[in-house]
Amino acid sequence: MKTIQFLTVALMTLGVSTQVSYAQKIEFKEFDLDNGLHVILHEDHSTPIVAVTVMYHVGSKNELPGRTGMAHFFEHLLFEGSANIGRGQYAKYVENAGGALNANTSQDRTFYYDLLPSNQLELGLWLESERMLHAKVEIAGIETQREVVKEEKRQRVDNQPYGNLFSETLDHAFDVHPYSWAPIGSMADLNAAQEQDFKDFYKTYYVPNNAVLSIAGDLDIAQAKQLVQKYFGGIPRGTMYLPAVKEVEPLNKGEVRDTIPGKDQLPMVVKAYHIPAQGTPDYYAVDLLNQVLSQGQSSRLNKSLVDQQELALFCGAFTYNTEHPGLTLAYGLANMGVDPKQVEDAMNAEIERLKNELITEQEFQKLRNQIENDFVSRNSNVAGIAESLANYHMYFGEANLINTEIERYMKVTREDIMNAAKKYYVAQNGVVLYFLNDPTLMKQ
Amino acid sequence: MKKFNICILTLIVALMAACTTPVPSVDRSKAPLPGPAPKLQIGQYQMFEMENGLKVVVVENHKLPRISYSINLDIDPIVEGPKAGYVSMAGDLLGAGTASKSKAQIDESVDFLGATLSTSAGGVFGSCLSKHRNEFLSIMSDVLLNPVFSAEELEKLRKKTISGMASDKTDPNTISSKITNLKKYGEQHPYGENMTEETVKAITRDDVVGYYSKYFRPNAAYLIIVGDITFEQAKSDASQFFAAWQKGNVPTHAYATPKEPAANKVVFVPLPGAVQSVIDITYPVDLKPGTQDAIVAGVLNNVLGGSGFQTRLMQNLREDKAYTYGAYSEISADEVIGQFSAGASVRNEVTDSAVVQFLYEMDRLVKEPIADSTLQLIKNIMTGSFARSLERPQTVANFALNIERYKLPKDYYETYLQKLNAVTAADVQAMAKRVIRPNNAYITVVGNREVLEKLKVFAADGKVEVLDAEGKPFVEMRPAPAGMTANDVMKKYIAAIGGEAVLKGVTSYDHEGVMEMMGMQATMIDQMETKGRRRTEISLPGMPLYKAIYNEGKSVMLEMGAPAREFDADEISNARKECDMLAELHLADYGIVAELRGIESVQGEDCYVVEMKKSNGELRTAFYSVASGLLLLEREVKDMKGEPVAEETTYENYQEVNGVKYPGVRTTNAGGQSFVVRINKARYNVAIPAEQFNVNQK
Repeated sequence: MKTIQFLTVALMTLGVSTQVSYAQKIEFKEFDLDNGLHVILHEDHSTPIVAVTVMYHVGSKNELPGRTGMAHFFEHLLFEGSANIGRGQYAKYVENAGGALNANTSQDRTFYYDLLPSNQLELGLWLESERMLHAKVEIAGIETQREVVKEEKRQRVDNQPYGNLFSETLDHAFDVHPYSWAPIGSMADLNAAQEQDFKDFYKTYYVPNNAVLSIAGDLDIAQAKQLVQKYFGGIPRGTMYLPAVKEVEPLNKGEVRDTIPGKDQLPMVVKAYHIPAQGTPDYYAVDLLNQVLSQGQSSRLNKSLVDQQELALFCGAFTYNTEHPGLTLAYGLANMGVDPKQVEDAMNAEIERLKNELITEQEFQKLRNQIENDFVSRNSNVAGIAESLANYHMYFGEANLINTEIERYMKVTREDIMNAAKKYYVAQNGVVLYFLNDPTLMKQ
Repeated sequence: MKKFNICILTLIVALMAACTTPVPSVDRSKAPLPGPAPKLQIGQYQMFEMENGLKVVVVENHKLPRISYSINLDIDPIVEGPKAGYVSMAGDLLGAGTASKSKAQIDESVDFLGATLSTSAGGVFGSCLSKHRNEFLSIMSDVLLNPVFSAEELEKLRKKTISGMASDKTDPNTISSKITNLKKYGEQHPYGENMTEETVKAITRDDVVGYYSKYFRPNAAYLIIVGDITFEQAKSDASQFFAAWQKGNVPTHAYATPKEPAANKVVFVPLPGAVQSVIDITYPVDLKPGTQDAIVAGVLNNVLGGSGFQTRLMQNLREDKAYTYGAYSEISADEVIGQFSAGASVRNEVTDSAVVQFLYEMDRLVKEPIADSTLQLIKNIMTGSFARSLERPQTVANFALNIERYKLPKDYYETYLQKLNAVTAADVQAMAKRVIRPNNAYITVVGNREVLEKLKVFAADGKVEVLDAEGKPFVEMRPAPAGMTANDVMKKYIAAIGGEAVLKGVTSYDHEGVMEMMGMQATMIDQMETKGRRRTEISLPGMPLYKAIYNEGKSVMLEMGAPAREFDADEISNARKECDMLAELHLADYGIVAELRGIESVQGEDCYVVEMKKSNGELRTAFYSVASGLLLLEREVKDMKGEPVAEETTYENYQEVNGVKYPGVRTTNAGGQSFVVRINKARYNVAIPAEQFNVNQK
């Protein structure tokens, strides 16, 4: 008993001395070109590299039913070439210059990046402007990438343990909003996509007024500005109507409960709840609530389900940050021989506790210390900085949140966390899925 | 005039173009040229050795207000044998309690700082904000110096480890890495042995404590400090927190050197329902870190499949043939033994074609020198990757550690790019001849059974070694003894559950039990009279869920939410059969054709596999223990509203009453649901009130 008291006192003292000293301030310049392209530049000479990135405001939520997976499929096709870049040469330019490149697609945006030696900045701008101005996609490229994307789906989803967790959860949670499918899409839709679909998609979404060019690293701002103007200034503004997703998924639709049979041996319990969009005050409260539940070994789910009751092999809770109202997820993988119902009951008990009691002052200070640490560690490389700046501009219209978003977290009170639990973590606002082993699927 | 008109038009077009694009002229047709190459600055490190032998490496980097600390053991890997798993468990348990703090207290204090701390068999790693340096180091040194390895935490970890292994059995990549390690290094080698449920169960607290006390010694360790700290501070911290760590004699080990196979061998692990094959072509390679050979092998590997999109494997298997999302190779240098590995996940139908392409690309490296342009491309890729790695302060610490561990020249990394640039195409081909062995490889595939047959051609002896997920020989169905029939199995079964004479004497039974489903407990009643009466009832308190009564030709079926009805022909036939204690001896009377298929292992127990086909086409497969004769498992595909639903029932815990044996626990899995029935009361040859079989019920 004495030891525990001593520890608590020591920690409380520490808490008092904990003055929040945020990470280094990220300086940046931003401006719009006449064609609507938003440009953000961050100068940092620590390492002679530069990250040239373009974020397009299009993701799987912009897809039409029957064409799911389109945004991601298209991302693959945009490595094929352009009017001036032969098929398959795009990546070669970057790698021959000692760079690396890739892209990824979420439900809300598509993000391309080239990490280059800093003397190759101009090459990066040429490549990305070619992609934006006149990308070229041949039938052979479509057919090849169609198969590659299908392999990606098999590798990441169909042939992975619990690989369907994400898509099943989305499918059960959303009825009207296009978040109901995962960016990888369905095999049938991947098979159905036609050349014309891509042409329309490109013309609509891959336009400067729907993109953010974010560059970070060993660059000179004035020179970079000039080069950006040179390569992107002449790209015409998009002329197509940019359709907005208007569907709103209502809260409290009634509990959705289902079992998903699979090959995996241990039962997995997933509980998802509908929450507001990222950036709203309640979103930050929910995010901290998840931190109480699952950040660190001492977090409530880990301590209770894994360490004390030994019900789960592992568990967690995280906020799925999306532009439109999305989901928060909690999951637990049952230990061998444990009934998934027990896992769910134990998760529920922790959630109920959050509704009935404020978290302790000490726990609250722990959250704030964790936030501070995470914030310091976030901006440790130029690629990450470029992406964060683009994100903050695209979703919040305020790139400077890279420096100040922490204040929004620090504003959340213990009462806010309790209220978030009461408001969103309720049965009629959620989905409960049991992923169960079906031994009959194990037969050859 | 005409000519003049055209000129005007051209002029207008040109003017318009000039007006609408007021930007510096861009020649888009060619890639812009690079500026002068920037100079790479490799960060500095400082080093000292403490009296207890702990070598401390410090990399100062004040960009962010944080510090990372890592204790790295520099020891020989260990053969764990029949207790495989104890080394990694010792590493995990290091953080699970000290003399003064429980695991919960350690977790709480680390999390409170917003810090991270993890432990493993190879050391301890943690990071914190620089202002929390002292608090953090006191926790870290406590974890390192005073662990208790409590029996309670060991049992918890054992349980988790066993659960984790169950979970791994459906992960093709985990299976692949276990199997390839086993094959290329052998089970007697530290890199080849794998833990199993059996070895994990054999681990004792002494094993764990023994590992810690022998190997966690400062004279066999490095402390790496990276971040927002000065060398002087780091020095005084080290002596404050790690000077009490006692040195000791750390055992060293030697092993037989694993060799590549004399000819290609094919190993296959069936993974039911797999939609891709995880292919790995692999073998051990003798290659030491920090040598010029390792740099040449690095170039060679990047030609084949190191990273990025330009490698031959990516260009061939992804960009040209679209067999895979990504194909990669690795040639790793290691002080004990290095390895070659090339692989990809590919859809089932192209598995053999993909293997052909892997072998083709390997062979090509041996036979043809690489073009100068390829060599330059690879050097550029490696130079760029080296430059990018310098962005992480951790990289400099890794460089320092390698220089110390492998006794490299101090300027090894300063001159790395010169050494890379000196590599010639001839060097690369010579290295290929030494380390690329398209005819001396283990070709391993984890995937669907359907791909197995096509892999035989790749084995020098035409045979595929089939293993289970743990690397043990996969037991296929074996033939039953010659002359044995299904009828013989049935006779053994009847004998096992009581014998013909006893069963003939049975007039009735009354079973009562509990059925668990979806977290609820229902009562189950199962009654029978051999003259042809049967009643099955499942109910929750005050809520009947299901009632089925058969009474000498008459019947009633009451299901929740459905109107009462009579049995259909199939149900009548089933009921008649269930009223017959000796039904298995004359199945044909119930329209069932039984055939003995062979012997297969069920949960480690050999079983006769008997297929029973009904006249309506329904097929049931039953597994009878070879040793006891008892029924252990049944599999069936049932028709549910036009959809085939697979069902599996296991029978366990056989009990005996009045000389008759019945399964005390019956578990049925169907459609992802599990139903467990436990019989807690069984009576035989008792009078059952006639009204129990009254079919005029609603």
